Amino acid sequence: MQSIIRTIRDGSGFDILLLGFALVYLVTFSAFPIIYNIVMSLQTVDMFTIASFSRPFVGLQNYYNILSQPIASLVFWNTVKFVVLSIVFQLSIGFGLALFFNQDFPGATYLRGLFLAGWIMPALVVGAIWKWLLAGDFGVINHILMSLGITEGRIFWLSDPDIALYAVIIANVWLGIPFNMILLSVGLASIPRDVYEAAELDGAGPFERFRSITLPLMRAQLGAVISLGIIFTLQQFDLIAALTQGGPADSSNVAQYWSWQLSFQTYEISLGSAVSVMMILFVIVVAAIYVRSTRHEHSY
Amino acid sequence: MKRYVLFLIGLTITAVYLFPLYWMYLTAFKGSSEIFQYPPSFWPSDPQWNFLQVWKERDMGRYIWNSLLIAVGVTVLVTLLGTGCAYVLARVRNIWMDMALFAILMMQVLPSSLMVTPIFVAFNQLGLLASPRLAVILAQTAKVLPLYIVLCRATFVQVPRELEDAALVDGSSRVGAFFNIMLPLARNGILVTSVLIFLQSFGEYVYARSLIAKNELQTATVGLQTFMGPNANDWNGIMTYAAIYVTPILIVFMLLQRRIVSGLTAGALK
Repeated sequence: MQSIIRTIRDGSGFDILLLGFALVYLVTFSAFPIIYNIVMSLQTVDMFTIASFSRPFVGLQNYYNILSQPIASLVFWNTVKFVVLSIVFQLSIGFGLALFFNQDFPGATYLRGLFLAGWIMPALVVGAIWKWLLAGDFGVINHILMSLGITEGRIFWLSDPDIALYAVIIANVWLGIPFNMILLSVGLASIPRDVYEAAELDGAGPFERFRSITLPLMRAQLGAVISLGIIFTLQQFDLIAALTQGGPADSSNVAQYWSWQLSFQTYEISLGSAVSVMMILFVIVVAAIYVRSTRHEHSY
Repeated sequence: MKRYVLFLIGLTITAVYLFPLYWMYLTAFKGSSEIFQYPPSFWPSDPQWNFLQVWKERDMGRYIWNSLLIAVGVTVLVTLLGTGCAYVLARVRNIWMDMALFAILMMQVLPSSLMVTPIFVAFNQLGLLASPRLAVILAQTAKVLPLYIVLCRATFVQVPRELEDAALVDGSSRVGAFFNIMLPLARNGILVTSVLIFLQSFGEYVYARSLIAKNELQTATVGLQTFMGPNANDWNGIMTYAAIYVTPILIVFMLLQRRIVSGLTAGALK
């Protein structure tokens, strides 16, 4: 007994105890739900069997049912579009801003920090604001676009099935720019200035310097930001809930929202789990690639 | 000269980016007919002060109280569980710690909207949904604990090991060294990370919406969502609600801006 107390006060028992609390918690509330999720996706879970511990086992039936629904391919392509377009624009705008604010002028760091105001707000509130900005009749975005002569008539951003998904993407890009910019700024700041000066002496123009110095030296950072972008974009739920709720007619529905709808709106819980299992698997693969790639760069 | 031109361009870009925020405050101050005026005005012609009215009508006190309760609960639980874990992960280096860190990083990326299905069913079976705010606290803690550990670990890594070793040589116990040396030195990082966790949980939506059935226990995010309804047109009410809700968040953010930025970047890339 005494030796147990001693190791906790003074030995590795202390480490194990501290680590143990957090890990036990995470296993209970994160790892266990994932396993339970896989189990549920192989059973029939609905309002009648939700509280029971012995549910009928149906094998891969749920996966078959979900993938054979006509909306499945729509949701799949929406998710792909949502992720790819969000990342392309977040990354390019974020990178552009990072390059701009990396220049030496008064207030650069402070102004750059202000961008994070968009990131710190609850995504649902951001969604509410964008819903008002994008409103068809009285929205200010339509007014600005029309008075600049970019569009002829009003665009019904949130109720036109051809456009709704892009409206959600626009709001998501706004939300994601700060994070991309800040992370890329860190990478830019770590490139030594004399590399650029040497290149300039050798007669390389600004574009040439960007292509042959900035891009190659930022490869690790860009990889990290892209993987984090995929992860965060697949977490995006609040914005969709505030803006379109997947509609009209599922035209802006994406996998993470669909999974929630199946479980909590139509109560086809086992179908919701099946979608959820597939998406979690994908997110974990992306995260594993991200972690591995950053570990290679920073051996700690 | 060139530096001031750059400053002006930078200021313009920032203003364009933050325009949605301006529009929120502007709409909150406009009258109910002015918001539907075309072309829209960019400055309120007859500024209104609807904040108290919206606060009372939408019963915001109760919503904000529930959000606060959940955010405080999550922050306390995360700090208690995570700080020690972050310290150990920063201090001990071996294959087991690498594996633990890898597992924690994996759990950091799990989307709430996908985890909520099994959590709902399991909590329902365990009877946890009878105390729904506690259920949200437990679920949200699992969501943000990994992030807290990763960011705090970066803080502990920066504390020189020699200080702890010196205390141990002087006869302090491990427990004593942790509480008297390491915690005070990592205090700033811990504080900023806790604030970040607090702000994130204050705006939590998915778990609250899915696990809390009773309206009087709901959070401010769900209150806003109900306000927006399918045929909402009280946009100055909605924007007033939004402004009341996010202004404290923005103030905290402005005060801690520099530290939040450096804390985030240290954690995400190391």
